Amino acid sequence: MEQNIKITAEPVDAQRCRFKVDRPVYAGGAAFFGNRERAKESPLAEKLFAIDTVTEVLISENAVSISRSIPDADWLAMAKQVGAAIRAQLQSGIPAVSEKHKEKLPSSAELRLRVKDILDNDINPAVAGHGGFVELLDVRANNIYIRMGGGCQGCGMANVTLKQGIERTLRDAIPEIGEILDTTDHASGHNPYYSPSK
Amino acid sequence: MARVLLLLPTKTYRAEALLRAALRMEVSLTVASEEPSTLMSANPSGLLTLDFKNLQQSAAVIADFHRRHPIDGIIPVDEETAVVAATLAEAIGLPFNSVASAMATRDKHRMRQLLLQGGVLTPEYSLYAIEQDPTTLTHQVRYPCVIKPLVLSSSRGVIRADNDAQFVAAFRRTSAILRAADVTGCGQSGRQVLVETFIPGAEFAVEGLLARGHLLLLALFDKPDPLDGPFFEETLYVTPSRQPPIVQEQIVDAVRQATIALGLCEGPVHAEVRFNARGAWVIEVAARSIGGRCSAALRFGAGVSLEELVIRHAIGIPIDSLERESPAAGVMMIPIPQAGLLREVRGLAEAKQVEGIEDINITIPLGRTVIPLPEGASYLGFIFARRSTPDLVEAALRQAHRCLEFEIA
Repeated sequence: MEQNIKITAEPVDAQRCRFKVDRPVYAGGAAFFGNRERAKESPLAEKLFAIDTVTEVLISENAVSISRSIPDADWLAMAKQVGAAIRAQLQSGIPAVSEKHKEKLPSSAELRLRVKDILDNDINPAVAGHGGFVELLDVRANNIYIRMGGGCQGCGMANVTLKQGIERTLRDAIPEIGEILDTTDHASGHNPYYSPSK
Repeated sequence: MARVLLLLPTKTYRAEALLRAALRMEVSLTVASEEPSTLMSANPSGLLTLDFKNLQQSAAVIADFHRRHPIDGIIPVDEETAVVAATLAEAIGLPFNSVASAMATRDKHRMRQLLLQGGVLTPEYSLYAIEQDPTTLTHQVRYPCVIKPLVLSSSRGVIRADNDAQFVAAFRRTSAILRAADVTGCGQSGRQVLVETFIPGAEFAVEGLLARGHLLLLALFDKPDPLDGPFFEETLYVTPSRQPPIVQEQIVDAVRQATIALGLCEGPVHAEVRFNARGAWVIEVAARSIGGRCSAALRFGAGVSLEELVIRHAIGIPIDSLERESPAAGVMMIPIPQAGLLREVRGLAEAKQVEGIEDINITIPLGRTVIPLPEGASYLGFIFARRSTPDLVEAALRQAHRCLEFEIA
């Protein structure tokens, strides 16, 4: 494999950064690893979790997205480590994500139906009690994109509802789900159920 | 896998940071709030409702829960939940602050008594009921003084008075605030105020962690804006302190003495200290970590958050480093300039461009009524900065704040 692998860091914010690679890393798929344990199905994710403060890894097509626990406007130091890990993986010739991981995944269409069913029947009737709702925006590979609205948008407890309620419900019902991406603009919430004040 | 119980009031700013830290550490997490979560039935071991004002009932609920899902650590986020945490820890046998010590941090009168008994430099004070007629009290008061509710936080209801007329007006205003506030569960303390001597001097905040009674210093913040009243709105926190080491040592030592006097022994501590020619005066000690979103200004070792340190300590995981990162850091709690409806925030993009500004969170939704101190207790938001020196951090925070325009009508 040629040595000159070009990788461009595209910071999303102080905690998330997308690394665009000039060749496929995981052709035709997306794999999300929310912790070190799950990373065992991906040699690349294992390498990335060895970098301090990395909390989540999403490998899709020709990009690798990283979340870290500590916000920092400067991505330079971590970008060097991430770049080295991606290059080492591509140069090894070993697939970034194992076949075993791929085989387990349902299709996007099937995933969409199953997620929508849970949102409609389990989650939304419950959060409606606080004037809130959760909608499914998109499914890409096994990653789902959701948005919280109404009383959930900007609510001080939205993160608790998301992590301890919505994610738990979805992952219990559909363990194959990859990343659950909350695209909510909480800063624009005009009517949050709980407004933080202390 | 260790289980952490987070006591999160529904009005806390701290939920996101604590959840992020707990999830990163891959601990089992139970979040207890005073109001039920809409999805509680989906995750009964992860979401609980506790009546924070009913300690006995909460202890019974947690004792039962602990039998089914053993809890390894409890983390409070404010003065009220610090008392709840101490009560729950006692009920299930976890090492923590005693209930009496946690209660002393919530009741400013008890705190003053214990600090004086412990030989800690602290303001002289008198205790009055809000039903008393302030015009009959003026002969007992030495000016300048500060009228302070026993149980409210974030400087709510705290007013300075320099003469009889100001005292009478301030006493009545603080009393009205207490009558309107939700202070149920505080007993008589919710209807009393301290009148204490105003201590001139620069103010500092100390962030620490108590381990078996030993205070470990996490950060010493300068508060460069003068806090001389009549209201005591916190704005800037900048660390490391620019004071000479000998002054810093006196400030930290005063907090150390205060924690001993109060009987605190485990978990986070946040203290406010004034320093003048007579030494370091302990104004407040809270058995919790820094409030609001201010913890984002702190990082330790290789980038560990304050929340992660607190969780690690609570469940007994060794902490690699308590040393704060090398750059200076700071936060501005954006004050509310006037009461009214927050209609628009301008200049955000420009403020974010200021060198060293890391993030700006506007935490009040547009269209909401905002109330400044002393009746209110919240901020418009938070500005965070990191630069090589504390002076540069302070300058960045002030410059970013100048860029912001808040339309309140």
